Amino acid sequence: MQQHCTPEDLALAALGEPLPAGDAAHLADCRACTDEVASLRRSVDALAVPAFAATGSAVAPPPHVWAAIAAATGVESGPAAPPTPAVPAAPAAPVRPAAEAPAPPAEVVPLRRMRSRLLLAAAASLVVGAGIGAGAVALRDDDGDDEAVVALAGAQLDPLGENSASGEAEVVERPDGSRVLRLELDADSPQEGYLEVWLIDTAVEGMVSVGVVGAGTEELELPPDLDIGEFPIVDVSVEPLDGDPTHSGVSIARGQLA
Amino acid sequence: MTGLLDRPTMAVPPSSRPRSTTVAVVGNDVIPLPGPAPEPDDAEIGRRFATGDEQALALAYQRWSGQVHGMAVRAFGPGPDAEDVTQQVFVSAWTGRAGYRPEAGPLPAWLVGVCRHKIADTWAKRDRQRRLAEAAAADAETRPAPAARPLDAAVADRLLLLDELDRIDQPQRGIIELAFFEDLTHTQIASRTGLPLGTVKSHIRRTLERLRSRLEVDGAAALHA
Repeated sequence: MQQHCTPEDLALAALGEPLPAGDAAHLADCRACTDEVASLRRSVDALAVPAFAATGSAVAPPPHVWAAIAAATGVESGPAAPPTPAVPAAPAAPVRPAAEAPAPPAEVVPLRRMRSRLLLAAAASLVVGAGIGAGAVALRDDDGDDEAVVALAGAQLDPLGENSASGEAEVVERPDGSRVLRLELDADSPQEGYLEVWLIDTAVEGMVSVGVVGAGTEELELPPDLDIGEFPIVDVSVEPLDGDPTHSGVSIARGQLA
Repeated sequence: MTGLLDRPTMAVPPSSRPRSTTVAVVGNDVIPLPGPAPEPDDAEIGRRFATGDEQALALAYQRWSGQVHGMAVRAFGPGPDAEDVTQQVFVSAWTGRAGYRPEAGPLPAWLVGVCRHKIADTWAKRDRQRRLAEAAAADAETRPAPAARPLDAAVADRLLLLDELDRIDQPQRGIIELAFFEDLTHTQIASRTGLPLGTVKSHIRRTLERLRSRLEVDGAAALHA
């Protein structure tokens, strides 16, 4: 019987490379060498999978993926054109002796939380300084109700990201002193989850959930002591049915009361 | 939180009429790049990415999101899970860009490495969710809960092994990646890298032994879930 295979050849066998005939014959009969190959192959089996391959075909992600990345990072530059499916395969890392291996990327906080924070931070940079028109602007109620309803503030809601949702929001005071947020939302129902309306402060740190809405005209009563000057940003988000009461970070429309 | 519902964005089909925008709170519109600037090469994008140039993120996405998304789709099929991974890769790469060093390798290879981590993480997350669901189902039927099943072995192995790969220096790391991820033989690797055949073989052996040791030593620690 031929002597044992070299450790190098056993490693190559673990990678699935064919061995010279003599070695292959030995390997087929030798328990020790077979066990060695099997133990080395565990890593190969775990890592040499199609999803990890650097050579597979490219698939262009749908446009909303970039929108979500832009929202999460606050980056406003956009790709000049949608990536084409014909993106060439990424080259493998060049093998450079003595080059230092790149450190693993910093582990990120759970995406959901980070996304909310960063998305809101991005929004903050745009609304800071805009301020809110102080004081109540007494306007006639458009609906022509007999009740003397006073419009306190209004906002146009503009779509965020790839969304096409838009609408108008208005805070009105009813004769009894209570206030409602009137929302006229032009949006499709989310494929999953539901729409929730928030009032957010200008620092974009605090927020108050005002309620769940659908498309169309809705009225949501505001908490009596809520200062809409402190929380002037009207935000409509898509919330998954996951039991998490915090903002999903997925806003579809937003505007600032003034 | 179910995670499965934790989607990056909901696709809201276009429906409403276009409106002119007067309130400046739209933070993530896609803004075309200005002017016919010369296209930066990959290395230039990598350098600018590392320094935090926002346009480099957009360029990197434009150039390599297809590659990254292709991997995610092969792992999870087309749809929200794959899209979530692709999103995570670029967000994580951007926030963790301090960990990218252009002199150590091209940006796309680094992004692909980040993508492997995200795929492995998502596999592990799904595996944990499946076990929780099974335990809950057993609970609901007031049957004794099945013995806590460890993470699926391959799922746990991948987490450990990707971590170990990150610790391996060049050229060993590049050599084993060519074998694992580009399916090259040791002779092809030698010709690609210009390294002697014997050197390639011995690096492959030592790296596979190192990875095996990591599994033997830390295999149980993989159950940190």
